[in-house]
Formats: sequence, structure tokens, C-alpha cells
Amino acid sequence: MDEQELIRLVQEGDEAAFAKIVNIYKDKIVNYLYQFTRDYQKAVELSQETFLRVYFKAHKYRPFASLSSWIYAIASNLAKTELKKMRKISVVSLDNVPLQLKLETACNDCQDSGLVKNLRKALSSLHPRYRIPVILKDMEGFSQEEIAEILKRPVGTVKARISRGRSYLRKELEKALSAKNSL
Amino acid sequence: MEELNLFEKLTRVKAPPDFEHKVMAQLSLRRERKFRARRGLRFSFAAAAAFFLLAFVMTNVIFVPKKGQVDFATLEKTVPSSVARAKSQAIAPSSEFIPITEAVDYSHEVRSLSPEPQTIYILEQVSDTTNAGIKY
Repeated sequence: MDEQELIRLVQEGDEAAFAKIVNIYKDKIVNYLYQFTRDYQKAVELSQETFLRVYFKAHKYRPFASLSSWIYAIASNLAKTELKKMRKISVVSLDNVPLQLKLETACNDCQDSGLVKNLRKALSSLHPRYRIPVILKDMEGFSQEEIAEILKRPVGTVKARISRGRSYLRKELEKALSAKNSL
Repeated sequence: MEELNLFEKLTRVKAPPDFEHKVMAQLSLRRERKFRARRGLRFSFAAAAAFFLLAFVMTNVIFVPKKGQVDFATLEKTVPSSVARAKSQAIAPSSEFIPITEAVDYSHEVRSLSPEPQTIYILEQVSDTTNAGIKY
């Protein structure tokens, strides 16, 4: 059964079809949202919310765009809202976070090499305006047209944002490398 | 494009094993909540409408003064005729106005249009005497 058929069944209230969609996209969406929040629990919560919206807003889906674009668009909007919320919340020092909480996060960052850590750091400091298209392009493998569809922006804008995002990351990596060499 | 290759090395996470169950549980909860909210909204609308209707009826019954029937026969019996006439004149103007509609058929009253072409008559004074005007 193809995705269009699945979403059509979801529009009729079929929970089995919805469960299939969840099964297909759960890992991708959790990973995508994790790249934004850097918090596994938060990413899982947002993913659940994304799928619930998929179910309740299924009647708004039009088959002009692919289902994956539509689901990623919902996830992106949720991620943007979450980032805005996170900016408003006051920063808490990591020393004050209980050890239990640190252990519960599923991501094992210690496996990352130094360069990858630098990339992650640079990615975190990148503005969401550029971070979203860069992640969609370079991590999720979407085409520029698909990203334009997800973000509801012209392809030219998406191209420019990807380019600027990449150049920012390159600069940050070079900076980190020169700092390391100087030591 | 070194950073692009690095993206592949970034840690990828997966959904927890009970993710689907949690989503389905949330789904039924959310659906129940929506149903309850919709039902509550419907009840509140109905209650509001009933309240307004009741308020309208109560306002009409309690606050708007009732106009009693004016019986002139009894009025004349109890009150002297001059006073009764004065009172009836005071009451009559607008409050006790009774519209009477009478159907009148003018079809026989008005002459039907003749099929002949219309004629224009030019009236001229032909007498030599001066016009003295018409006396009624």
C-alpha cells in the first residue's frame, strides 16, 4: 500500500493505516527533531505531537506534495516553536542538572570525534532559518525543491539559505581547527 | 565540502521501542478529550440560548406593562359622559387604533383603454368674447 493510499485511509479515521505511517516515519522524525533540540526526550515528545497532528489534521493534507514533505513541515513548525520557547527559558548550568537526567539521554555524544563535536556545536549555534534547510538537505537528503515545499519558501531562498548555512559551518570548523593548531 | 561528509558521522538517534504504543495511547486520550470538549461546547451553547430565551420571556412578562381592553360601554356607565368622552379621546389616538382593510374592486370603475390610436386634442378658444374664467 503506497503512502497516498495510507493517508487517504487516515483521513477516513483508519488507525491501522495511521500506525503504519508512524512506523515508517518514527525514526526519521525523532532523529530530525533531535538535531534541533539536542534533547532526546524532547525530540520524542515533539515527534509524538507531530504524529498526533498528522492524524487530526489529515483532512487538510492535499496530495500535491509528498506525504514525507507534509510530515516534515509539521515537525519543522513544531521544532521552530520549541526553539523559540527554549530561548525564552533561562539557561541552567549543566552542573546543576541531576546525574540521572544526564544518563537518561539516549544520544551517546562521546562517540563523536572532535571534528564532529565541533560540527555539532557549530550547528547548534546556527540560526534555525539556516539550520533547518541544512539539516533537511545534508542529513535527511531532501532535494531543494522538496525543502522549498516543506518550508513554503521559494527554491531560490532555500538555495541561498543552504549556501549561507554551509559557509557558516565551514568558517566555524576552520576557526576550531586553527584554535586547535595554535595550542 | 568536508562538513557534508561529517554530517554522515553525526549521531543518529532512533525512536524508542514503545513509541508507537505511546502515540496510539495519546491518540485515544486526545480524541476523548476533543469529544468531551465538543460536547461541553454544545451544552454551553444550548444553555446560553436557553438562558437568553428565558431572559427575553421574563422581560416581556414582568417589565413590559400589559395593555388592557378598553370597554367604552362600561366606562360610560361608571364615569359621567363628559369625562368618559374626554378619557376616550385621550386613549384613542394611537394606542387603540384598529386598522380596517376594505377590498375595493376598481375594475368596473375605471374605463378600459380603447384600442384606437391615441388622439391629441388641441383646445383653442374660438369665441370672440374674452375669457371670463369658469365660475363654479
